[in-house]
Amino acid sequence: MQITGRQIDDFKSDRKDITPPLPVVLRLVPLLFYCSIAVAVILSSIFAIQFQLAVQKRDTHKAMSASLGAQTQDARNQRAALETQIKKATDIQNWVAGSRPLQPLLVEIARSMGPRSSIVNLRLDREADNPSQYKMALSMGTDSTKQIDLTMEKLASLNYRAFSPTQTLGRGELDYKATLVHQDPFRQQNEEAPR
Amino acid sequence: MNSIDLKSILNFSAFRPEPDDPSAPWKKRFPAEKTVFFGLGRASLSWRAISRSGKPGDLESVRAEPKEILAQSAEHIKPLAEQGWCAVSLNTRYVISLETNLSRRTGSEEMLKTNARGVLGGRYERGKRYALTHNPETNSSILLTFDEDQTRKVESMFSEAGFRVGRVCCGAYVLLKHALAVTNTAKGSEKPVSAFYIVCCEGAVCALVQDQDRWLELRSRTDVYEEDVTPITDLLAPFHSRLSPDVGITLVCDEPMEGLEDRLAKVFPNREVRDLSEPALLATLMVQN
Repeated sequence: MQITGRQIDDFKSDRKDITPPLPVVLRLVPLLFYCSIAVAVILSSIFAIQFQLAVQKRDTHKAMSASLGAQTQDARNQRAALETQIKKATDIQNWVAGSRPLQPLLVEIARSMGPRSSIVNLRLDREADNPSQYKMALSMGTDSTKQIDLTMEKLASLNYRAFSPTQTLGRGELDYKATLVHQDPFRQQNEEAPR
Repeated sequence: MNSIDLKSILNFSAFRPEPDDPSAPWKKRFPAEKTVFFGLGRASLSWRAISRSGKPGDLESVRAEPKEILAQSAEHIKPLAEQGWCAVSLNTRYVISLETNLSRRTGSEEMLKTNARGVLGGRYERGKRYALTHNPETNSSILLTFDEDQTRKVESMFSEAGFRVGRVCCGAYVLLKHALAVTNTAKGSEKPVSAFYIVCCEGAVCALVQDQDRWLELRSRTDVYEEDVTPITDLLAPFHSRLSPDVGITLVCDEPMEGLEDRLAKVFPNREVRDLSEPALLATLMVQN
């Protein structure tokens, strides 16, 4: 004889609306739901981390770009300063180079000064339209016009001739203004030779 | 589908039987919940906590009017059950009898709840609840009868104390079925079993004589003993003369009873005593089934 019934007989008053449990296979529904939530959380975390890293990278690049921009601006400023200095130096160099032909003229004027004469102010202007001419304005401390004659003789020895001279003498100071024109001696000889 | 249904699906409770579904085992109804197992006598109440893993705790017992005990100790017992769910073993006011020629139609044991008259025929009484165990080899059956009003009173008594009754069973009947299932394992009639089953459950005693698979005699009494086991032996002693000489004794108690086996050996000399009793046996069976 085999008695297998092990179920406990229940005498409790039955509730009428007891529903049977759902099939086990349907456990997949909440499992998939929880899995999808877990995957969504993981992916969101990854995206959030990647977003943070991207933002950090962007900020780093922005900071680097700003730093490099500042460095570039500094370099530009330094270059502009150097260019300004170079221009000044070039101007000085050009002035020195441009004034080199005048040096014999100036030396001769200075040497022509007698013992009782002195140069108060000397100005030589050369116009761009007519660079072979110099407008000379000479203020001398002297009491006679001989000194200017002597100076003009010296300049003549350097083949400079004065045009439109004006001079003003007063209280021991002589102001002399004239246009100095350099005359080529070879050209002068060639012009005189046919005569 | 409302939010409660959705919640029950998401927390997987929809895939478990409802807590008061009598067709489901206790462990499946409360897979991770503490519950309480009560033993209700005529003038005693015992309780035992069932842990979340289904392990029975220590037994506590008080001898007094159960309603008064519940009223006084409910606050002490309630924390043992998380949601208040409990199972009750009725150890008094029931009748276990041996019947013959009851209906053996398929599912007749389950049909008792819906159509007891169809199964019991003339033995049916209005206002009773029944449980039935058929002897597969003979026309005899063991019939457990409860008074329906008494069962309702028990349910309302526990409900008023703040508990939710998930199961009402008869401890002695459960233990008797357990003993029968343990000893009668061979299919067919080739290996017939003879035994004298003695069941003790919190004051209730049930004795069944089985001879060559035939159930011959059954005696069931409630509120027989308290601490002393003498009333048990006094009740069972008359069986000695009626038992065949080769019939052994199969003893099963809800808790091992000290000295009972020796007393039985004296009352039933020269008979083998097989003790199936284990600590918290009834609570363990209640949880497993």
